[in-house]
Amino acid sequence: MDFTLTKEQLLIQKMARDFAQQAIKPVVEQIEKENAVPAEILQGLAELDLFGLAMPEQYGGANAGYESYVLAMEQIARVCTGPAMIISAHSLGLGAISNFGSDEQKAQYMPKSCKGEHIASFAFTEPGTGSDPKQLTTSAVKDGDYYVINGTKRFISNASYPGPLVLFAIESESGKPTAFIVDKLCPGYSVSQPWDKLGWHGGDLVDIYLKDVKVPAANVLGQAGDGYPILQYGIAYGKIGMNSVALGTTLAAYEEAVHYAKEKTHRGQPIAKFQAIQLKIAEIAMLYESSRWMAYRLGFLANKPKSYRDFAKEAALSKVVVGRNAMEAARHAMDIHGSYGLMNDYEIARIYRDAAMGPQVEGVLDMQKIIVAGDILFG
Amino acid sequence: MNIVVAMKQIPDLQQIRIRNRQPVLDDVPLTFGNIDKNALEAAVQLKEAAGGQVIVLCAGSAELEDTVKEALAAGADEARLVICEGELESSQSARLIAAAVKQMEAVDLILFGEGSGDNYSSQVSSRVAQILGLPQVAYANNIQAEGGALRVTRSLEDCEEILELQLPAVVSVTADINEARIPSVTQILKAGRKPKETLDIGQLGIALPAAGVETLSNLAPETERKQVVVKTVADLVKALETEGFGGRG
Repeated sequence: MDFTLTKEQLLIQKMARDFAQQAIKPVVEQIEKENAVPAEILQGLAELDLFGLAMPEQYGGANAGYESYVLAMEQIARVCTGPAMIISAHSLGLGAISNFGSDEQKAQYMPKSCKGEHIASFAFTEPGTGSDPKQLTTSAVKDGDYYVINGTKRFISNASYPGPLVLFAIESESGKPTAFIVDKLCPGYSVSQPWDKLGWHGGDLVDIYLKDVKVPAANVLGQAGDGYPILQYGIAYGKIGMNSVALGTTLAAYEEAVHYAKEKTHRGQPIAKFQAIQLKIAEIAMLYESSRWMAYRLGFLANKPKSYRDFAKEAALSKVVVGRNAMEAARHAMDIHGSYGLMNDYEIARIYRDAAMGPQVEGVLDMQKIIVAGDILFG
Repeated sequence: MNIVVAMKQIPDLQQIRIRNRQPVLDDVPLTFGNIDKNALEAAVQLKEAAGGQVIVLCAGSAELEDTVKEALAAGADEARLVICEGELESSQSARLIAAAVKQMEAVDLILFGEGSGDNYSSQVSSRVAQILGLPQVAYANNIQAEGGALRVTRSLEDCEEILELQLPAVVSVTADINEARIPSVTQILKAGRKPKETLDIGQLGIALPAAGVETLSNLAPETERKQVVVKTVADLVKALETEGFGGRG
């Protein structure tokens, strides 16, 4: 079992870190205030192939594998979670097309998305359901060579950017959940103002309103009435990106805690000299190390899963650990900062808010535990 | 234009820890110095403007075979590596680099960073130029190809000097010549497939001279606290301004 990163992986990690430090760090405050990632940052990420990092070369991707994806995303999120969230949601939507799309669908939708010219989305959640496909109300009624889609989707990432949207609706002929590829910004498609989130500023979550949106029947992803495997894929693979964002947040908390502990003085010496602070630093280090290897391992497993069901269990397990660890690490780092940590002048305030997001998005922690227990107890 | 960029493999300075006033180099990854990367970027930009090839040339330990991927990802077309273990002093590096260049065909320009990231002796470029009998310009912060010559701007203390340099020549660049590009994922993955030739000292046909200079210590100077006593806020502000702290960042 060799845990050494290859030279290529180290270079990809460094590439992401350098870009984040040089290009993103100077505008983090702007992203926080405006809740928007500047176009030049997205352009820079696209030029580095980060929008197609794990996608096949045949369709314009870099084919670097999901381990490298996790390494890169961690470094981006370490500086700012907004851009990382955009790439994460994009990779989920694009990955669904890559895994379940026909050759024609892949040829039509993947090249521009891999280059970052289009940004993909994945839309399951509705006001009435975040996890139960039986509660879906968005409808897709067959009308000749088209489907007419009506409904509302909630908390959808990247919905304001042009590009493909993998959307779940109840297909009229089968009466079952079906995945469709919708060209965003088409007639009948509109979005709400972004939700004012606690953290992950810059990565928009909006509601999508679909009013008589016409989609070619050829845009069914997979088979009509057979959307569940694609949903299962999405639930699992979405966690690779989410884990990476939480991991980057944990790393940021770690670094801020060490930096503050070495600089802040009490009675003439750095607070790092006091045991109470040392215990917290050790806790944060352990939280980071355990998260890190779980997140990296999930990236490794994602390249060749035994099955989507098996991978879903691994992803759920990993998400609980990494998401919870991010919150705990941020809490320890906040405690080290004391009341200064409550001031937005200090990075830890933003990191603390960002850490709170991971456990609640893409399936709450208790839902993940049910998936894990179900696999262990009932096979 | 065929350009050789001489780069030195060094420990990643950002990952070095100091223990008992000694650097801990165990498990520190190897990389190239920042100004060497500026030199490489300058070469790649010249190639993109005028055509040709960029060859990265390094002398150092066997880890170079991996480290050089960083340069190949950043735009070098191929690599020549002179493998020899142990620390190399500047005169030795210069001999090895010059000998390797002599074995290459049609080299128009040899670029260096003004100083390596670790020792910053700033000697190797001048020594190589002298051994090869080539003209040299140092402190270059701009290089333009014009026909078969180069127009080089030197950044000096209180002026800028513009020179015309006939090729072949040696130029060493400063950090402000450019901002080294960050390679994309695709460029990183393709780097390992670019041509690499490794040589040992025997293949260069030279004997390595004994080191003439030995580095005894390489640490930041210890500075005493200034212990400036201030009695008023105005005194404090003035003291801070004198030290270059202009107020809240």
